[in-house]
Amino acid sequence: MNARETILNALKERREAPADRPLFEKEPMRFDDLSEAFATALEAAGGEAVETEEVSAEAIAGHFRFEGRILDTRESGEALSRRDGIGLVIVEGAFGVAENGAVWIDPKERYPRELLTLAENVAVVLKKGAIVATMHEAYERIDFSGISYALFMAGPSKTADIEQALVIGAHGAIGMRVFLQGR
Amino acid sequence: MSGRCPPVDHAKNAASFTADAKRAHWHDEALWFVRQKRDRAAKSVPEWEALRETAEAVKAHTLKHLGYYLERFEERAKANGIEVYWARDAAEHNAIVARLLNEHGAERVVKSKSMLTEECGLNPHLESLGIEVTDTDLGERIVQLAGDHPSHIVLPAIHMKKEDVSRIFAEHLQTDPENSDPGYLTRAARRHLRRKFLEADAAITGVNFALAEEGAFVVCTNEGNADLGTALPGLHIACMGLEKILPSAKELGIFTRLLARSATGQAITTYTSHFRKPRPGGRLCVVIVDNGRSRLLRGEYAKTLSCIRCGACMNTCPVYRRSGGHSYGYVIPGPIGSVLAGAREVATYASLPFACSLCASCDNVCPVRIDLHKTLYREREEAIDIPCYAGKKRLLHLMSWVLQRPRLYGLLMGAMRFLLPRLPRPLLYSRFNVWGRDRETPMPAPRSFRDLYRERRSR
Repeated sequence: MNARETILNALKERREAPADRPLFEKEPMRFDDLSEAFATALEAAGGEAVETEEVSAEAIAGHFRFEGRILDTRESGEALSRRDGIGLVIVEGAFGVAENGAVWIDPKERYPRELLTLAENVAVVLKKGAIVATMHEAYERIDFSGISYALFMAGPSKTADIEQALVIGAHGAIGMRVFLQGR
Repeated sequence: MSGRCPPVDHAKNAASFTADAKRAHWHDEALWFVRQKRDRAAKSVPEWEALRETAEAVKAHTLKHLGYYLERFEERAKANGIEVYWARDAAEHNAIVARLLNEHGAERVVKSKSMLTEECGLNPHLESLGIEVTDTDLGERIVQLAGDHPSHIVLPAIHMKKEDVSRIFAEHLQTDPENSDPGYLTRAARRHLRRKFLEADAAITGVNFALAEEGAFVVCTNEGNADLGTALPGLHIACMGLEKILPSAKELGIFTRLLARSATGQAITTYTSHFRKPRPGGRLCVVIVDNGRSRLLRGEYAKTLSCIRCGACMNTCPVYRRSGGHSYGYVIPGPIGSVLAGAREVATYASLPFACSLCASCDNVCPVRIDLHKTLYREREEAIDIPCYAGKKRLLHLMSWVLQRPRLYGLLMGAMRFLLPRLPRPLLYSRFNVWGRDRETPMPAPRSFRDLYRERRSR
């Protein structure tokens, strides 16, 4: 028997398809103002939410202090494949989550995934109306069939591995802001 | 450790940790602080207890149908272009990973946190084959450079002070030995590891949750090391214990709400990353590892396979906080580590179930409601039967014999009440009185409770 067969054989009483499965049926927490809750949670995670109608690359760049290039993934271009010296990357977020300040980001095939972590700063443009309350609604919203790699990102990269002292900017972005646009 | 009986002696190991009282106190406080953050995060969610109950039910359900879900995962993952491998034990796991790296011609590997690869001893195996493995989680990198092991599953370097890190970094990363500022040291590590990321030929990650229905998996980090590590090289190997499976992404709603809040008190990890297909032109491989888990599933400790490795039981444990992770002598320390170690090999880890005050705090913080303290109590009953504890066991029998004889017991207690206050200190605090090693023996009251009670009754 090969490893696969040995393992599945050891689980042979556990191979039946389940008839139904346990679900979370309680009403999860609600927020009076979703974008306000989102902003508070994002701030706690070291990020910042900015409400603005000015989402041009120049306007967004004005909210960060950085050196290096700006990559705006809303416009496709060859520059997206260069890895070095990325000061700021601008991406679109699909939706946000009020309870924890996370944004769902799916690069699709539009830009290489490493931009999200190589860039010193990450700006996410998000429709203000696209914020759900909790992770339950979040996962209801995601269609996995088109995904290759996608993530929830909540604030900048961080660590507290040295004496529990929080340091922003471990490997990925040192700054992370979400620009809430529209109503 | 040869010759020691039992081979892993928690109390003896802890002695070296507690020898530095100031440091031990700092460790205790630091972890208690994390526990308090967890409490605040949990209390901010009104449906917290319902979440825990559902998480417990989902895990029990998944384990009950584990074979089905694993096969389903394999089928769906393959359809997504993910290669799936199976390993019966640590050696097979290591061989598969080495083979995949070899096929790819990989010489430099970046790795994000995975307790499974620690359990399997993957790093030394790969290094013996001439492959450079860089742990990229900052805490893990610190312990790797120090030639050490993680002492906590979420905070691997919690046993070290910033001065230790400064010394290690000065030696390996040429930082200023006088500077032990965490910000400075983290920036130095960022530069050092950024180079490793850019040079790597392959990436290895763990798996927090595998999704049967979607054939995808999720990795959670705060540093972004799994994301950066896997984004560049053409090969990503994800290693998972077979218990990491969930029925579908729907259940992630429950588990992503519980994991970070339980672990560090954050509402969610900074990066909660979903991998479903290889990157363009690359390979994505998942290694499903048994290594004793299917055996564990058949026994009475099956529920421990529900663990999602948040570390909450460690942060709250009064013994863990005061003895440090290394005193457990097992890859996973704390209450869950004691249970898992004991279930794996009673004889070696017999002292671990006794490194517990049975306060049950761990049960109450566990996001999947594993009854850790009850399990440890059950493990004690097995542990006491090992040959090393024969003397202890005889003593306990003697104790039980006395306690069943109230008059004899009363007589002995009377003698103690007379003797204890009169014993000279050197005799009272001789080496046989282990309880008196670090504390004063309380002096008995002049009259016994039974005495006073009898008197009251007759009045």
